[in-house]
Amino acid sequence: MSVKYIPVQWNPNKWFYDGIMLVGVFVFLWVFLEIAPGVLSHERPINPQIHNARAFGACAFVMLTIILCIGPLARLDRRFLPLLYNRRHFGVMTAAVALTHANYVLGWYFAFSHIPPLEGLLSANQSYFQVAGFPFELLGLFSLICLLLLAVTSHDFWLKFLTAPVWKRIHFLIYPAYAALVGHVALGILQDQQTHMVSALFIGGPVLVCVLHLLAVVHGRVKADRIAKGHGWLAVANVAEMQEGRAKIARLPDGNRVAVFLHEGKLSAISNACAHQNGPLGEGRIVDCLVTCPWHGFQYDVRTGQSPAPFTERVPTFAVRLNGKIIEVDPTPNPPGTPVKPVPLPEAAP
Amino acid sequence: MAATLVLLGKIWLWAGAAVAAVFLTFGLDRIDEDAQEAYVFRPLLIPGVLMIWPLVLWRWWHIERHGDITMARYSPVRSAHTAAAVAMSIAIILVLSFGWNARQDWPGDVAPVQMTKGSDE
Repeated sequence: MSVKYIPVQWNPNKWFYDGIMLVGVFVFLWVFLEIAPGVLSHERPINPQIHNARAFGACAFVMLTIILCIGPLARLDRRFLPLLYNRRHFGVMTAAVALTHANYVLGWYFAFSHIPPLEGLLSANQSYFQVAGFPFELLGLFSLICLLLLAVTSHDFWLKFLTAPVWKRIHFLIYPAYAALVGHVALGILQDQQTHMVSALFIGGPVLVCVLHLLAVVHGRVKADRIAKGHGWLAVANVAEMQEGRAKIARLPDGNRVAVFLHEGKLSAISNACAHQNGPLGEGRIVDCLVTCPWHGFQYDVRTGQSPAPFTERVPTFAVRLNGKIIEVDPTPNPPGTPVKPVPLPEAAP
Repeated sequence: MAATLVLLGKIWLWAGAAVAAVFLTFGLDRIDEDAQEAYVFRPLLIPGVLMIWPLVLWRWWHIERHGDITMARYSPVRSAHTAAAVAMSIAIILVLSFGWNARQDWPGDVAPVQMTKGSDE
């Protein structure tokens, strides 16, 4: 959350998450470098520089594949949400591993010429109009630049400074970055790969990512949020549908979503988009008047749209009213952090 | 061409360094109260400013002129997820197909073709 910025807001969960991630990276590299050279069956002996480059490259590929699986998995099954929690650290680590791979490549394949390594990378192969022999290195370079951009803009300051929608749009680069990385592998190492296990990894991983994303798209269509109906005040739910401590989410005519909560027998409505990363507040639960965003744990008072002091995040609130048994909201949001008097349900009213 | 690209990249980064120097020492305190008297995290922002300094300048100008809180902050870019996921999936399937078909030892027993002459020929 906000208050004064610090380099990294550590907590026990992040230590645990990052610890598991680091152990995973070291185990992968150790297996690749020490245990599996025989399994990799290089036809020609390779030197340590190339072996290291391949190990770090494969590790970055697997890490990015896992990162891209987390999002759709969390949408398909809430039990995967904890993996989403610290995904930014996962991304930063992936960028570091990918950069190490690039450093090994530049330090070997482009190091023994009068041309500077980076210029050599950009000019050595210009067969842009053929598949076999395509300069796959440039696909890797594009992917690396994207990963670095995502890593260096991962601090919470950037989210607040750029605003979540702009930040999210930048971070959509993860999709072309992964497609380019698959191209980098498919037109690069896969052209010469004789080991089925490695081929299966480099093909199975991207196929899994595609399947999970397409399943999540279908799931999103099937479980689509209800559409608020009416003119002026919009009907979002029936009182019988409400559960204490939970919300009903409805899509407004402008495409945004409102979350109507029932708390202590009273109705309150706030924007469904968390001020942090636009996580779905309506899927969170109320504890002590505060709804907790299921993505990263940001909290808001549903009656005011404000985070508890000393935090300063705010979300827009909405006016609510009852029309018989129908709960209606005014689709015009109040400025973020505007208190709105909760509306008691009939049975809870004095 | 490659040398020009590298030179342009260097110019971009030097311009970013100039923006970072001004923004992190002067601008940051003006536009974000959470950054006031918080200095340890600022070096972490330097690589980001180097890469997206035009966007930094635009946002700085926008916040100075219009303030920080806008309703656009609460309009998630949801619909783009579907388009991005579908486009990525199509690109992956295409590039895997092209890559697999370009392999010279597939579907099997196909003699490799030398694409360019070697230095000893």
